[in-house]
Amino acid sequence: MNRLIIILIGVLATTSVFAQGPPIFTETPILLGLDGGGMRTFGRFIVKENATVYVQPLAIPYNLGSKTQIGIAGRFININPNNFESVSGFGDLTFFLKQQLYQKDGKGKTFRIIAKLDQVFPTGKTSSMPSIGSDSWQSLLSLVTGYVTLKYGIYGQVGYNITSNGLPDNLIYNAAFVYPLLPQKYPPNQLNLNIGINGNFFTDVNSNTILASGGIQWINSKTALFEAGLQIPIVEEVPEAQKTNYVLTFGTRILIF
Amino acid sequence: MKTLLKTGIITLLTFATFILSTTNVNAQTKSETDKTYIKIEVDGLSCPFCAYGLEKKLKQAGAKDVLIQLKEGEATMSVSKDQQPTEDELQKIVKDAGFTPKEITFSTTPFKMKKDEK
Repeated sequence: MNRLIIILIGVLATTSVFAQGPPIFTETPILLGLDGGGMRTFGRFIVKENATVYVQPLAIPYNLGSKTQIGIAGRFININPNNFESVSGFGDLTFFLKQQLYQKDGKGKTFRIIAKLDQVFPTGKTSSMPSIGSDSWQSLLSLVTGYVTLKYGIYGQVGYNITSNGLPDNLIYNAAFVYPLLPQKYPPNQLNLNIGINGNFFTDVNSNTILASGGIQWINSKTALFEAGLQIPIVEEVPEAQKTNYVLTFGTRILIF
Repeated sequence: MKTLLKTGIITLLTFATFILSTTNVNAQTKSETDKTYIKIEVDGLSCPFCAYGLEKKLKQAGAKDVLIQLKEGEATMSVSKDQQPTEDELQKIVKDAGFTPKEITFSTTPFKMKKDEK
């Protein structure tokens, strides 16, 4: 089961490297027209019945034009099982590619669809118990869509993750609603409320997990935002001892240049 | 004698003030005539955080005093006349920033802005 957690960490760690006041737990279809210079990191505590997992990813994107973005994400992971010694180390590396497929803009609003590929390389440490790396090549292909206006944003993502080395494939499905609590203006001074769901269905073992997500985002400069969120499982078809109590996330996204 | 001296000083100060203000007005007028003011209607400006990409690209192209108004879906700026971009160049900048350009207006005088978006 530990490897299942690592799969989730691998495929979710690159989520929405940066965007406007993007959803915290769902991908965004908006690719900023920046020639690189952005990065995202956050600390995520996954508190389970039998362990606490801490993940600190760092994702760096680079735009190859206004419709294509590539990037790489690495992560530091610490697993602290209840009855064993804690282990830590660098997890799997993920390469990602985003390609915009559709864009329809209006005054103060946009609707976009992108395709996204997350390729996870099994570079993480596997010598420890529990293992830090997934020891599995994974390819997640997703469709990401969003309708964003100055009053609200609705985001959705559906993707299929093909795994190797005996791990079950999984279907991910995320949806988010972002509501700005302050009037939208530029330079930004934003406080955004995020709510959503994050689902994961392991197809080979018919196991489903759905997390209800909520969070808040604070943006008071052109180049940095801060966010915090909480996820609570509402459906979790796993053995009792491996159940997740909650997931806490604190993070920042920064445009460097 | 004292009154005469006082009157003389006041006259001199008034004259000096007049000369200085005239020079300043001339300088300002010259500076303003060297500039072109541009307003671009931009569709897709739905988020403050992503407007930074547009501001950055406009500044890279030599634009000054870039002001982005989300509600109006507009970006205004000034450029020196010798660096004035063409309409096609401005459209490309907006597209590269990930937005859709609409009407582009060039003016020799600054555009009026809404206070709450400044």
